[in-house]
Amino acid sequence: MGVPAFFRWLSRKYPSIIVHCVEEKGKECNGVRIPVDTTKPNPNEVEFDNLYLDMNGIIHPCTHPEDKPAPKNEDEMMVAIFEYIDRLFNIVRPRRVLYMAIDGVAPRAKMNQQRSRRFRASKEGAELTEEKNRMREEVIQRGGYLPPEEIKERFDSNCITPGTEFMDNLAQCLRYYVAERLSNDPGWKNVVVFLSDASVPGEGEHKIMDFIRRQRAQPNHDPNTHHCLCGADADLIMLGLATHEPNFTIIREEFKPNKPRPCSLCGQTGHEIKDCQGVARQKQGEHDEFAGAMPAAEQEFIFIRLCVLREYLSRELTMASLPFPFDFERSVDDWVFMCFFVGNDFLPHLPSLEIREGAIDRLVSIYKDVVHKTGGYLTQNGFVNLERVELIMQAVGVAEDNIFRKRKEDDENFKRRNKEKRKRMKAEQQGPAFMTSGQFAPQALGRRDRPEPVHNARYQAYDMRMQSVEQHNKDAAQSLKSMMRNGGRSSAGVSDGTDRGVKRKCEDSDSEPEPEDNVRLWEEGWKQRYYKTKFDVDVSDDGFRKKVVRSYVEGLCWVLRYYYQGCASWKWFFPFHYAPFASDFRDIQEMFSEFEKDTKPFKPLEQLMGVFPAASGNFLPPTWRNLMMSADSSIIDFYPDDFAIDLNGKKYAWQGVALLPFVDERRLRAALADVYPDLTPEEVRRNSLGSDILFLGRSHPLFDFIHELYRSETQEEAPVPAELCHGIQGTLNLDDNPILPDETVKSPVPLLRDISLNSSINVKFRDPQFAEGFVFKAVLLPGAKMPSKVLKPEDYERGARGPWRPQLGFNPNRQQAHLDQAGFRALGHSLPRAQQFRGQYSNAAPPSSYHQGSYSRHAHSSGQQHFQHSRQNAPQRPPPSFSSVPPPFPRQQQPYRGGGHGWDRAVQAQRSAYQQNLSRGGGGPGGYQQRYDQRQEDWGDRRDNRGQQQARGFPLPPPSRHIRWNN
Amino acid sequence: MAGVRCGDDVSEYLSQNPQLAQWIESFRGYCESNKQWSARREFILRNMEAFPTVKPGTCSSSLDRLLSLSMVWANHVFLGCSYPQAVMDKIKDMGEGIVVQDPPVHKTTKDGITARGKRSAPDDGNPEGCVKRSRTEADSRPSGRAAARSAIQKSGPPPQAPAEQQPFFNRLYKAVAWKLVSAGGFGPNLDHFEILRSCVESCKQTVTCVFVPLKDIEGLPAGRTQKDGHVCEIRCQTVYMGTGYGRDEAAAKAMASKEALKVFQGRKVTVKICRRRYRGREVEDLVLLDELPRTQGFPPALSYPFQDEPQDEVVSPRGGKAGPWTLIEKCWTPRRIMFMS
Repeated sequence: MGVPAFFRWLSRKYPSIIVHCVEEKGKECNGVRIPVDTTKPNPNEVEFDNLYLDMNGIIHPCTHPEDKPAPKNEDEMMVAIFEYIDRLFNIVRPRRVLYMAIDGVAPRAKMNQQRSRRFRASKEGAELTEEKNRMREEVIQRGGYLPPEEIKERFDSNCITPGTEFMDNLAQCLRYYVAERLSNDPGWKNVVVFLSDASVPGEGEHKIMDFIRRQRAQPNHDPNTHHCLCGADADLIMLGLATHEPNFTIIREEFKPNKPRPCSLCGQTGHEIKDCQGVARQKQGEHDEFAGAMPAAEQEFIFIRLCVLREYLSRELTMASLPFPFDFERSVDDWVFMCFFVGNDFLPHLPSLEIREGAIDRLVSIYKDVVHKTGGYLTQNGFVNLERVELIMQAVGVAEDNIFRKRKEDDENFKRRNKEKRKRMKAEQQGPAFMTSGQFAPQALGRRDRPEPVHNARYQAYDMRMQSVEQHNKDAAQSLKSMMRNGGRSSAGVSDGTDRGVKRKCEDSDSEPEPEDNVRLWEEGWKQRYYKTKFDVDVSDDGFRKKVVRSYVEGLCWVLRYYYQGCASWKWFFPFHYAPFASDFRDIQEMFSEFEKDTKPFKPLEQLMGVFPAASGNFLPPTWRNLMMSADSSIIDFYPDDFAIDLNGKKYAWQGVALLPFVDERRLRAALADVYPDLTPEEVRRNSLGSDILFLGRSHPLFDFIHELYRSETQEEAPVPAELCHGIQGTLNLDDNPILPDETVKSPVPLLRDISLNSSINVKFRDPQFAEGFVFKAVLLPGAKMPSKVLKPEDYERGARGPWRPQLGFNPNRQQAHLDQAGFRALGHSLPRAQQFRGQYSNAAPPSSYHQGSYSRHAHSSGQQHFQHSRQNAPQRPPPSFSSVPPPFPRQQQPYRGGGHGWDRAVQAQRSAYQQNLSRGGGGPGGYQQRYDQRQEDWGDRRDNRGQQQARGFPLPPPSRHIRWNN
Repeated sequence: MAGVRCGDDVSEYLSQNPQLAQWIESFRGYCESNKQWSARREFILRNMEAFPTVKPGTCSSSLDRLLSLSMVWANHVFLGCSYPQAVMDKIKDMGEGIVVQDPPVHKTTKDGITARGKRSAPDDGNPEGCVKRSRTEADSRPSGRAAARSAIQKSGPPPQAPAEQQPFFNRLYKAVAWKLVSAGGFGPNLDHFEILRSCVESCKQTVTCVFVPLKDIEGLPAGRTQKDGHVCEIRCQTVYMGTGYGRDEAAAKAMASKEALKVFQGRKVTVKICRRRYRGREVEDLVLLDELPRTQGFPPALSYPFQDEPQDEVVSPRGGKAGPWTLIEKCWTPRRIMFMS
């Protein structure tokens, strides 16, 4: 979904859907990294069957990372991608399927958004380079220091589009990667790997959905498959819900908000390129100890549990006393549909629906009202009931006026508070103290003006001091005044009359001037102005408005169909840059019936012509590129050099609307028909539509079947035998250039080795096909077992059961904190043991020094009881000489004092063992125990005696005999 | 087909040729409004003769080229797009004479709008962190308006220009104030132009100087014996700041800068639309003023950046009152327009 704020809204409203990932890190021994053994159970206490990777969410951050230095060349990028996939595989540990989907040619509806992004990226890149060069010169002239510029080609992220050489290379590298892991990594042994690369049409996430949908529709599918989908897009959540699979989880990188980006000239945070002074970083704290987080900290991952989201939604959407039976699955589909209204990749969202303003909540409450009137659900299996949708839209339309007004008020409040805050911040933050300003500022030499001698230095310095004092006073007075003025009012409250409607003439000229808003939705006549400004039509032009609404209605149907059934039309797109108003949705029932049938996607190179600006023409063959630039080209209008960006009420350019012309498919195809013959065979290959590939390793049950297919050189398709592959169905075809076992597989990446003994095999795979007009049902499958509930039941009574303990992970009985055996042994070294306690955990008592001498322990908890035992029962015998040995952990006291409790809790789980040991007195592991017992007595003595002899009473190290045992 | 025709003629012509009309109608885009389509249709009809291979009723690559150029023109007028120079030149001729009422005005990426707020952490609505909007955005907005359009429009500064320019000049005011402090105050012995230039540059803009030799200006008040000399007019962002006269260009520039700096000596500066004389006629101009009431008018303008007309057009004699520097017959052009970087 094109709504970045959607996930934030969702995770704030339904917080329990998020579970932090536990990631087992590989160990390093003598400089050699030991890979993690992923055959072990998943430390997240859940076992996943299928892992689906939306590869574009991996390719982009690995090839042009935002917060790290970029990889130097393509090979480094590939290695980064492999490592990322390894990390995900380690966290998720899929046991059956790994599905990697790279974006192929997208439907036309999506291509418009891709086009807009690429045109903008191209512009931004050029501007950035220019600004960097200019600022670099300026800063160096002024005497600042900048790290030397690396002469490297700027990576044009536009090459991450199907049909480019880069994507072709990537597919080759991924094949190598899969073969290597299948051959060598034990965790991959029984996993089937699917690779759908850029030559297969369809967006990555939708190819994944298609796969799941089609598997669900065939009878051998396991309805309790546990799916895990990796991707950062918020609409993956929608897609996951749309599958109606009971066990669906999403994994994504944890987003850390408000992390400032470093200036790309000098690498420091806190300013942007245009303010760069090339100054050394200021130390925070005497030794720079208050500097922010380490810049290279690794990204963490989070799981999003859709079953918990379903629990939340069931509470939210449950409607009582309906005239028809309530079906939760249907209401989930309706919820998904309503989320499209606040934003999706294919339609501009309605101006009155902003997720930040609680649009979804508004829609849900309208929905619950309306459903009594309409007598049914809005959607079914991805088909929209337009009559009912109209009722919802009309209800939103009625509220539009108020929505716009409130938006303006909130905006004004927000800006005012921000301004005050910024003033305060500015007063505090004057920049590094060693940088002078005013006439004392460093001046560049060699330029036109000769640096002037300082005039009136003393006066100036005095002046500057007084200025800042005055400013402080002024600011303080100002904030006091405004506080008194606005006192007691909440941030969302109604501003009083003096604030409303006052046009903010920039009294503070340092703040940026507000972008001119010609539409002013909060004032009377907004509809007129909107249609005039955005569409350049009179509001009385009903015919035109109907056209816009019709296209929008088509769009809603198309989008829902896309999520539930697959792409209904590869050609359809929304041909306007703006959305209509909700109140314009009148008589929409008749507006739409069916999409054009038998539409085909563009071929990869054709698609490149449709989404690339002329500046990225280098990815295309020369005669094709010429069509983007020549004045005689019959499609030159598709490639403007410069275009308008309408902020449309937003703050930042990237949120605005790029007013690019739409591509006319007929003319594009006609123009390309002339230059098709110029393609080289390589380009022809890149331009063709490909097929999904299936990989497996030798120990997989399906291996022999596939191997046999190759040996028999069959030309026919072969269906997958259901029992050999966890119920997955499909048809197999021989690959023209397969990876076969016992052959060497050459590595396309020079950094990595060839696979000398490959034991994997690959084959072409096709999803199960269904008849024309087949409808995939959006229902729970029979045999599906719902996972156990996680949320606190609404009628939970805090009685004998104690307070509600929220479930933090996948397992309700999760072990919280615990020490491994090694931890206890380490503690055991230094801690005294009472003779009473046997067993490994019996030394969980803190040192007795606490309750002797000056450290009298007040009774905290039952844990203390044990220690008192020890005290009482210790025989009084003088210890052998210890004085020469220094106490091992002089600081142990601190953690243990407070930690008595924590320890206590940690040990709670072991309590039973503890008790047993107490009573047993002699049990425990073998010889260790016996010798242990001998020492108990000695130790007890030493401890007590120590307390008498030494005021500090630190636990002393064990005698050397003790140490020997533990080797 | 007949030559130049206007909108009404177009519809009349089409009504007389229904088959052609029908064929042409098939080129209408789904998303084109009536206004956009009728303008583009006119473009296509007017230029069909230039594409002789285009035969009504058939598709051909030359038809596609014509359609493509019509889209280039329409995208330029209605969406604000611009294309490589060769393409723009082509459509400029082809689109001559087509009248479009109230064409939309757009801010394009050249106006620095993409620099407005980088792609920061997607916490929209939270402008904290280190995102500061680009200053060049507001300042170069008026230049977007001057984009070539073949539509005839009113000349003169747009009414919202003062409000747009005001913030920039407020900043400039501060910069000048500080600069003068460090220079020891406003006085006769400063390098006024340098001060002005450096302040404007620190606000990331440029100063425009227009020079006209004195002898080229007619109708000077009697008593001016020296005919040699130059006059300089200083503008910044098309806002007029000052005029000066001197023996050579440098002196004229210095005096003009001094006049300009005088404006900054008040408590504040304001951008206003005022009437001035330019080439003998009264025009509206964007002017920088201080807060004191202006007793006399402005010296006549040497340049007028608010219209499309080329500067060296012959102005026909007006025969009106001869006032100071009223141009009677001779035309004069500014010799040099210097853009100071």
